[in-house]
Amino acid sequence: MTNSSHAEEEKKVRETVTNFLLSSINIANLNDDDNLFASGIVNSLFAVQLMTFLEKIFVIELGMDDLDIENFKSVNATTAFVMRKKGWQKAEAGPS
Amino acid sequence: MQYLLTEQQKARHGDFKTFVNQNVEPFAEKWDREQRLPESVIALLAKLGYLGCSLPTQNGGHGWDTVTFGLLNEALGRGSSSLNGVLTVQTMVSKALLKWGSVEQIRKWIPMLAQGEIIGAFALTEPGGGSDIHSLVTEFTDSRGDSLVLNGAKKWISCGQFASLFLVFGKLGDRSLACLVPRETPGLEVEPIHDLMGFRAAGLAKLTFNNVEVPPANVVGKPGFALSHIAPVGLHYGRISTACSALGLLRGCFEESVTWAATRKIGNQPLGDIGMIRSLIAEMGTDLEAGSFLCHSACRAADENLPEAFEKALMAKYFTSRAAVRAASDAVQIQGAAGCHASSSVSRFYRDAKIMEIIEGTTQIHEHLLGGIFLGQVRRSLQ
Repeated sequence: MTNSSHAEEEKKVRETVTNFLLSSINIANLNDDDNLFASGIVNSLFAVQLMTFLEKIFVIELGMDDLDIENFKSVNATTAFVMRKKGWQKAEAGPS
Repeated sequence: MQYLLTEQQKARHGDFKTFVNQNVEPFAEKWDREQRLPESVIALLAKLGYLGCSLPTQNGGHGWDTVTFGLLNEALGRGSSSLNGVLTVQTMVSKALLKWGSVEQIRKWIPMLAQGEIIGAFALTEPGGGSDIHSLVTEFTDSRGDSLVLNGAKKWISCGQFASLFLVFGKLGDRSLACLVPRETPGLEVEPIHDLMGFRAAGLAKLTFNNVEVPPANVVGKPGFALSHIAPVGLHYGRISTACSALGLLRGCFEESVTWAATRKIGNQPLGDIGMIRSLIAEMGTDLEAGSFLCHSACRAADENLPEAFEKALMAKYFTSRAAVRAASDAVQIQGAAGCHASSSVSRFYRDAKIMEIIEGTTQIHEHLLGGIFLGQVRRSLQ
C-alpha cells in the first residue's frame, strides 16, 4: 500500500469510527485521543457494540488475541487497530 | 408474524412444537413438582442437536440462524421454562467461549457442548448480589506455578446441579477474569437449591470454590475483559433465549385462556362472551403479537451482527418477560380456582413468569439501560 493510499484509508476508517462513536456515546465533542472508557461516557454494552460494529463494517473478526485496551481506548487507537487488522500497512521507506 | 419467517424456519418451528407437544408438555407439571429434569429429556435435546443448534457446523453444531434458535426457545418455553433453561445456559457458555476462547479451548470444549455430551453453566451471580456484576468478590490469586487459585461462591446458578463445566467470573486484583472449571475439579462444591417459586426443575445450585486450581489453559480471554466482553456475549444470548422462552409462556397463557373462555360457561353464556374476559384476552393476544415482533427483530439483528442487536435483545426480554407476568396472572384469573391448582399449566406459568423478570438482568436493570440508551439517542440528535 502506498503512503498516500494508506493515508486515505486511514482517514476513511477514522471518520467511520468517529461517526459510530458520536452516535453511540454520551459526549458532545470527541477528540481523537479522548479516552472512551472514561467514567460515565459509555454504558456496559458499549465494548461489545463497538466490537460488533468493527466486525460488521470492516469485515474483520475479533478474538481473544485482540483483547487489549490499547486497541480500543480512543479513536486513534481503534483506527490504528483496524488498519493493522486489515493489513493496511504503510509502504516501507526506500533507501535515502 | 409468521410472514417474516422463511419456509425452512416455519417448518422447523412446526417440528419444535411437535417435539414439545409429545415430549415436554405432558411431563412438565411432574418435573416441576419433583423439582428435577430427567436425564432422558436432556439426552433427547442433545440427540436432536438442539443444545448446540446455533453453533457452527464445523464445531459440531447445526449452524442454525438465531431466528430459528429463537423459535426453538419459544416452543420449549411453551412447554417448560425449566427445560428451556438448559438451552439458555448451554448457549450462554458456548457462545461466550466460541467468541473469546483460545483455539485449544474451542477445539476441546465446543464440540462436546454442541453435541450435549456435557452441560455448561454460567457462574456469574454471587450470594452478595446479581445485578451489580462489577461488585464480584469471587477472587483469583496467583499461585507459585502458572496456575491461579480460585476462592469464592456463586449462587442461583441454573443447571448447576447437573452441569459438567462452569464458566466462572471473578476478579484477579482489580481486573475481571473468566475461567472454565470442570465439575470434578478438587475444591469445587455444588449444593442444590430447592423450593424456588418457579424454574423449580432448572437445577439451580450454589457453588463454592475452595482453593480451586485454575490452569492457564482454562483461563478464558484475558484479565480485564471478563465483564466488558465475555459476560455480555453470554448474557446477550441469554436474553434472546429468555425473551423467546417468555414469549412461549405467553403463548401458553393465551392458548389456555382462549380455550377455557370458549368452553367454560356461566349459565348458558360462554365465558368468552363476557366483555371483561375479552379485554384480558385482547391484551394477551396483542402482547403475544408485539412480543413476537420484538423477538424476531432481536434475533435478526444478531444474525446480521448489528451493533444494535444488544439493545434489541434488551427490549425483547424486557417486554416479553413483563407481558408473560401479566398474561399468567390474567390466565389464572380467567380459570379461577382451577387456575390456582397445581394440575393447571397456568399456575406453573404464573410462578415461572416471575422468574423471567429476574434472570439475565432484572426488569429494573433493563429499564436503567434502555432508559439511558433512549435518552442518549435524543440528546445526541439535539446536539
